[in-house]
Amino acid sequence: MANPDPIATARDLGYAYRPGEYAVRHLTFELRRGEVFGLLGRNGAGKTTTVRMLSTLLPPSEGGGSLFGKDLRHCGRAERARLGVVLQAESLDFVTVEENLRLYAFLWGVARVTARSRAEEMLELFELGEVRLRKPWALSGGERRRFQVARELMHEMELLFLDEPTVGLDALTRGRILDYLARRAREGLTIVFTTHILHEADRLCDRVAVLQHGRLATIGPPSELKRRHAGARTVEAEFDRSLTVDEAAELDRMLRAQAQRFDPVEQRDGRLVFRARNAEELVAELARWANLRGLEIERIAVQEATLEEAFVSLVSDRPGAEDQPTGTLT
Amino acid sequence: MTALPPVLRLVVRNFRASLDSITLLVMFGQPAFLIVILGTMFNQLIPSVGSSNSYVAFLVPGMIASQMITGAVLAGRIFWLDRRWSMVEQIFSGPFLRAEYLAALLLTTLLFSLVGVGLMALVALPLAGLPVLSAVELAVILGTIALGSTFFGGLLIAIGGRIRSANLYFTIQSLLQYFLIFISTVYYPVTSKTPEVLRAVVYGNPLTYAADTVRDAFTRSFGPGDLTAGAVLALLASLTFVAAIASFRRLEFGPVQ
Repeated sequence: MANPDPIATARDLGYAYRPGEYAVRHLTFELRRGEVFGLLGRNGAGKTTTVRMLSTLLPPSEGGGSLFGKDLRHCGRAERARLGVVLQAESLDFVTVEENLRLYAFLWGVARVTARSRAEEMLELFELGEVRLRKPWALSGGERRRFQVARELMHEMELLFLDEPTVGLDALTRGRILDYLARRAREGLTIVFTTHILHEADRLCDRVAVLQHGRLATIGPPSELKRRHAGARTVEAEFDRSLTVDEAAELDRMLRAQAQRFDPVEQRDGRLVFRARNAEELVAELARWANLRGLEIERIAVQEATLEEAFVSLVSDRPGAEDQPTGTLT
Repeated sequence: MTALPPVLRLVVRNFRASLDSITLLVMFGQPAFLIVILGTMFNQLIPSVGSSNSYVAFLVPGMIASQMITGAVLAGRIFWLDRRWSMVEQIFSGPFLRAEYLAALLLTTLLFSLVGVGLMALVALPLAGLPVLSAVELAVILGTIALGSTFFGGLLIAIGGRIRSANLYFTIQSLLQYFLIFISTVYYPVTSKTPEVLRAVVYGNPLTYAADTVRDAFTRSFGPGDLTAGAVLALLASLTFVAAIASFRRLEFGPVQ
C-alpha cells in the first residue's frame, strides 16, 4: 500500500529539446512512497523524457521537482544511489550475461558474495540460466529485455524507473516479471513504469498518469480513470420473450432519454444490446421498465470498462466518436 | 568489504567489459611488430640516427612514446562503445558523476599507455637493449606519458562526445592516429634537410615532443628543449582536458549510429 509521503515530485516540469520545442510541459504530480505508478501515453507523448528528468538524467528546462526531498536540479550521487533505472534503449557491456550482472553489481558496490547469489536469483527469475554464458548481442530481443531488467535488480534501490520493461516479451514472461515487481512493490519499492500494454498498468499500478502531447491529460487510480474516461460500455439483456414493436420503440425512447451517449446495437428475439456511458444507471431503469411491462429479465451483463478504453477515449483525436448513435432499436 | 572508490570501479569495468582480447592483441601487437620488422630492416640501411647508435635504438623510444596514442585510441573506443550501447547513460543514472567517468577514461588511457610502454620495452630488450634509467629519467618518461595520454585521451573523448556517427568517429580517429604518428619524430628525425613546412608541422605535433623527450631520456641527453617540450605537452594536455570536460557537459544521450 502506498504511503502518501512523496518520494519524488514534479512541479510545472518541462523540457525543451530546442528553444520553444517542448517534449513535455507543465507536469505537476507526485510519486508516493511504495506505490506503483504508470506513465502512459502515445509514442512521443513525453514518457521517456519525464522518466529521464525524474531520474536526473536530463535537467529540466523549466519548472522543477524533487527526488527524495531534494531539488531535482541539485540531485547527485547520493540520490542516484537510491535509484534504479531500466532505460528504453538497450544498454550492455561486452561480456557474458552472467558477467554483465556481476560487473554491474560491482559498479554499484555490491559485495561479491551478495552479487554472486543475486546473479543466480536473477538468472533463475528471468529465465536466463541457459544463456548465462552468451554475450548479450547473441540473445533474442526478449532475452535482452529480460537481461536488462534483471541487471538493474542486482542492486538495492528505493525507487525503480522502468521505461517499457516488457516490450517484446511473451505473455508468460511478462506475467512473471509483473508478479515479481508486484512483490517488490509490496515490500516497499516504489516503481514508476511506462508501457503501451495497458492491462499491465491496470493490473500493477496503484495510480497512472496519461500524457498527451507532453502534457498531463489525467492522473489517478486505474479504477477512477476507467470510471471517468472509459466511455460507453456494452449492456446485454435477455428477456423471457420477444419485445413487441411498440415495446421496443418505447424502450428505445426511454433509454435514449436517460442515456449518456446512447448507442443501440441489437434487439431481436428478446435480446437487447446497447452501449451507453452510464450503463449501471440504465440497467436499473431497464429493470424498472421490464417490471412495469410484466417482462422478466433472464440475464443481464454489463461489460467491464478497461483502461485501454479509458486511454483511447482520453488520447483519441476524435473524442467520443465511437459513441455516436448509429440507429434505433426498432 | 568496502567498495573501491567510484573512479577505480569504473576503471576496472573499462578493462573487464569493453575490450576483447583480439582488439588488444592487434592494438599492442602492431607497434611491437613494427619494432621487430621495421627496426630490423632499417637497421641494415641506417647505421645510426643522431645520438642513437642504431635505427632500432632510435625507433624504440618513439614507439614507447606512441603508446600514449594506443592508450587514447582504446579509451576513445570504450567511450564510443559506451555511447553506442547506452552505457554512458546507464552509468550516469547510477551513483557516478560525469567527472568520475571522465577521470576513469583518462586513467584507463594512462594505464593502457603504460601497459604498452612495458610491452614495447620487453620487445625492444633483445633487439636494442634498454638503458639503465635513473629515477629522474624514469619519472620524466612516465610524466611525459601521463601528459601525452591526457592530451590524446582528452582529444578523442572531446571529439567522441560531439559526434553521433560511428563511421565518422572511427574515420577521424584513424586519420588522427596516422597523421600524428607519421608526421612526428617517432620513425625518423627532423634534420637540417627536412623541408621547412614539414618541420613546422612535425613540431606542431605533441607526439614529437613526447618522442624526443623519451629519446633524450634513453640517450641521457636531456636539455632545455625537453623542459620546453614538457611545458608544451602540459599546456596542450590542459587544453584537451578542458575540451573533454566541455564535451562531457554538453553530452547528449540518445541514439548514435
